[in-house]
Amino acid sequence: MTEAELSLFLEASVRLGIPLALAALGETISERSGVINIGLEGSIIAGALGGALGALAFGSAGLGVLTGAAAGMLVAAVFAAFAVGLGADQIITGTAVTLGGLGMTGAVYQARFGATGTELSLPTLQALPLPFLERIPLVGSALFAQAPTAYVAYVLAPMLWYWLFRTPAGLELRAVGEAPDAAKAAGVRVRRVRFLATLVGGVLAGVAGAHLALAHAGTFAENMSAGKGFIAIAVVVLGRWNPLLVLGAALFFGAASALQFFLQALGFDLPYQLFLALPYLLTLAALGGWVGRARAPAALAIPWESE
Amino acid sequence: MTRPLARLGGIERRFGAVLALDGADLEIRAGEVHGVLGANGAGKSTLLNVLGGMLAPDAGVVEIEGRAVRLGSPRDAWALGIALVHQHFTLVPRLSALENLALGAGHRRGLAGDLEKLMARTGLRVPLDARVEQLGVGDRQRIEILKALLRDPRVLVLDEPTAVLTPDEVDGLFGLLKELAADGRAVVLVAHKLDEVLGVADRITVLRNGRTVLTGPSAGRSVPELVRAMVGGDAVDPIALGLTGVDAGATGAMSRPPAERGETTTSARALHAGGVVVRLRGAALADRSGPGVHGVDLEIRRGEIVGVAGVEGNGQRALALLASGRAVPDSGSAELPSGIGFIPQDRSTEGLIAEFDLVENVGLALQREPEYVRGPWMRWDAVRDAAERIRERFEVAAPSVTTLAGALSGGNQQRVIVGRELTLARDFLVAENPTRGLDVAAAAFVHAELRRMATEGVGVLLVSTDLDEVLGLSNRVYAIARGRLHDVPEERRTREGVGAFMLGGTADG
Amino acid sequence: MVDGGAGGRFARTRWEPVAISLGAIGLTGLVGAVLLLAGGFDPLAAAAAMVRGSVGSWDVFVSITLVRSVPLILTGLAVALAFRAGVWNIGAEGQLYAGAVAAAGVGLAGGGLPAVLLVPAVLCAALAAGAAWAVLPMLMRVRLGVGEVITTILMNFVGIHMAAYMVHGPLQESRGVFPQTDAIAEAARLPPLLPGTRLHVGFAVAALLALGMTVFLHRSRAGFRIRAVGASPEAAHVSGRIDARRVLVGCFLVSGAVAGLAGGVEVAGVTHALYEDLSPGWGYTAIAVALLAGLEPLGVLVTGLLFGALQAGAGAMQRDAGIPAAWVGVVEALVILAVLGLDRLRRTGGRVLPGIRIGGGGGA
Repeated sequence: MTEAELSLFLEASVRLGIPLALAALGETISERSGVINIGLEGSIIAGALGGALGALAFGSAGLGVLTGAAAGMLVAAVFAAFAVGLGADQIITGTAVTLGGLGMTGAVYQARFGATGTELSLPTLQALPLPFLERIPLVGSALFAQAPTAYVAYVLAPMLWYWLFRTPAGLELRAVGEAPDAAKAAGVRVRRVRFLATLVGGVLAGVAGAHLALAHAGTFAENMSAGKGFIAIAVVVLGRWNPLLVLGAALFFGAASALQFFLQALGFDLPYQLFLALPYLLTLAALGGWVGRARAPAALAIPWESE
Repeated sequence: MTRPLARLGGIERRFGAVLALDGADLEIRAGEVHGVLGANGAGKSTLLNVLGGMLAPDAGVVEIEGRAVRLGSPRDAWALGIALVHQHFTLVPRLSALENLALGAGHRRGLAGDLEKLMARTGLRVPLDARVEQLGVGDRQRIEILKALLRDPRVLVLDEPTAVLTPDEVDGLFGLLKELAADGRAVVLVAHKLDEVLGVADRITVLRNGRTVLTGPSAGRSVPELVRAMVGGDAVDPIALGLTGVDAGATGAMSRPPAERGETTTSARALHAGGVVVRLRGAALADRSGPGVHGVDLEIRRGEIVGVAGVEGNGQRALALLASGRAVPDSGSAELPSGIGFIPQDRSTEGLIAEFDLVENVGLALQREPEYVRGPWMRWDAVRDAAERIRERFEVAAPSVTTLAGALSGGNQQRVIVGRELTLARDFLVAENPTRGLDVAAAAFVHAELRRMATEGVGVLLVSTDLDEVLGLSNRVYAIARGRLHDVPEERRTREGVGAFMLGGTADG
Repeated sequence: MVDGGAGGRFARTRWEPVAISLGAIGLTGLVGAVLLLAGGFDPLAAAAAMVRGSVGSWDVFVSITLVRSVPLILTGLAVALAFRAGVWNIGAEGQLYAGAVAAAGVGLAGGGLPAVLLVPAVLCAALAAGAAWAVLPMLMRVRLGVGEVITTILMNFVGIHMAAYMVHGPLQESRGVFPQTDAIAEAARLPPLLPGTRLHVGFAVAALLALGMTVFLHRSRAGFRIRAVGASPEAAHVSGRIDARRVLVGCFLVSGAVAGLAGGVEVAGVTHALYEDLSPGWGYTAIAVALLAGLEPLGVLVTGLLFGALQAGAGAMQRDAGIPAAWVGVVEALVILAVLGLDRLRRTGGRVLPGIRIGGGGGA
């Protein structure tokens, strides 16, 4: 393999990993507070449509990212209202929110652009090469000639790590996810923390969705999230609920997805559908081999009720 | 007279259908240790949780230094100088001791320094960098108290702090509480053991059925007077009130000394009395949440009650699971009979299924008995009959056997479990903290049933953190410490004597 | 915290679950109508089209609604059984595809066999493949402690891509043009249930299975053990001495098998070939079907029919009222959320958040 090919592979890995990283970083925050949001997929697809509509309305991809974030947060708010507010089962609520998010975005899209979906052309997020950094051999252009949303993920991971493990608010969030009753006794408002953490997760999932529509595809398509919400949840597990490792796990997953193009480019004649399944299989293998020793937040997925 | 530091008046609090507090009053003055007494279920913890800001009252007033206040959260209480040490640990197991203290103390700067000073002053030392899940219950209790003291409270409230401490540690704690009171603070202490509270409190308040029935100086109070206040006219089980060794005769229901019981057997099962029914040899079982047990040698004979005393978290869980056949030993052997009943400690999660009705809950255990199944099918008619018999015989206060278990009071849930397990315990019964959280009448009922089983020739293993319960009921007594059993000789079966063994000591402990 | 976790609710009433289901349907209609109005659609026209397209005539009802309900009932039963045992099998979709692939494979290969042998062989292959698709998540849960929610979802994607690979590769129709298989042998097809309609024997299979599962869950010891483990694994172990792991393994596999059967029945009864997009997400809709039925197998029969009607009516709705068919997903989500919401209200006796009460319930 030539250096150019390798560099292309790395670039594709990062490009495919970034939306996962964004969504997974948000999910890390909500899971650290004890909320597993299977509705993440719904937030991502809402973010994609919200981003597309926003970019179209304002004629700006940057503003589209903001509307995408808002749409992702809105979906997460529905999830949180049931799963945190009412204390309903998180898995089932999340499944419903995903179904609803996919259905709603499909319906809105069809209503707006017709059932066949006239090809929608959007203002796109242009790559923003960072001076000097992009010239680092091999990895420079892969890491530092990406859309601005990628840099959000790079910066966010260490920030979130610091916030989680080195600040009082992060300590409170972790306490809520480990032992909500104890957190309450320490004066932490459990519901509020969980609600806000879930909303943060929704915002980042919305940004991830907007990134899909505006930086990758330049258009919106029904079901374009293609299970990324679920993979992001697996990425959180792979990253052991640690933002830095989560970023790494997302990039690993991106590499697994990039492998399909890469091997094809190298002339391997393997069926394309098997390549599509590869990332999921790799994730399963990684979960099996690696997670056995990692521990989820103790109160994850357990609804909390104060008396 | 000085103005009270804190006053709760006419407090009411309801949980679903249960009225936990029905106009309770409490008045706390600076410089005193104030004991709050009451039988289980009298509302002590609820009242203290109101004072600590954990529970909002449905009605009533809370005044601090004469000013009416609203305590909506623990933060509100702290702001007014009230700190609560909970009955159940409120620590986050996977965080370090220091992180837990930071969480409770509002993360101020210089926390580590303050902690050092506080630990030096109070003598409460804990390893700050260890994760709480790795610490024993004594350390955890100390962290809880340090957490409260870090807030430099004017009112320190402790809810049953002695349950997990050895008798020696209790003395140390009480000494500290007296010093704090001498500092001009107020200390509120809840315990359901009369003699403990009388030993340390300056004034007392007695609750019954959610109401304050007596309040005043503790000096000059007689035990019978307090017992009457606590239980009203109800029948009394001296063990449940912690009165063994005190003037139990005052309660009018003296228990026979343990030695007599094994002999006065009358039923047909008595023919087998004396035969060994359970034999554990070098048995070991690891337990993720505790020390597990190792090297357990234990023989239990028909007709005897063998008591195992110990501070919580020393391997009782593993011992109960082994003896009841719920777990097989990792090493060593366990010879168990076929007819085993098991009264688990945790009624609501292990003993019963809340959303199942009584028939199904009885069936849960009986489905292993041949007479309740036919081929692959349940004989629900037979199970229903059994449930009816249990409801009548054990006086379960439920409108019918189709009542959901979750709708019953704790005492009635325990009656269902006891009734069910007694039908299974043809040979052997394991009871794990069988009266925890029960009111006096329910506890007395459970004690009577354990005795009755023994007289009918069943071997009984009583595993309890309640030392008085073990001493009051058992023919033989073991102490459990760090996963090992220690045989307590006859002459050392006193609270102090067993307490020494519970520290993990040997015969000379 | 205090006794009475059931919130003062004393006895279970037989009609409570039915009331919740009916209430959920009502709420869904209400919220759905508001959303439609907000989107500029006419809810009444939508409802009328929905009714016409699902129960407008006997033929529409039998040949469209009932036929569409079969995979929903089967996957609904799969999900209900799993959830009953506390197994969060979100993988019915992938298991369905596995069953469909196996059924198509056997149906194509077994050309020479008589129908009495081939039809059972096709259905057994579907059952086995569905169970096999559940093996990996089951083992990961039991052996490694990896939660099954994520792993079953991941297996869904693998299953969908595997089926796609089959119709592009080894099982592609003989001309090699379309992404589908050849039609399976005549002898492999499910016979019609009502002559002159498209309704096939698969409907009877689904109905009998629902009946059998109800009897099994409520009358047999094994069924009781499953309910006990699902309601409280701790109590089942400590008080019932039930091996929760065995129950979990069994229910996981049977759930997968029944979902696989859904795929096999669809191939053998309706499409007679394997297609890339065989399922419009039945495995996910099944969760709504099962929950609305209160996880009761007989209830699944009813709610499966209801969702069959909904999917049958969606086409008419799009055609006649211009409402996008994707709307069905929103309705499914609303149904699940309404069931969850009403169930929470029942359990808390009307208390939503501290200080907020809806209605006067809970004063038992």
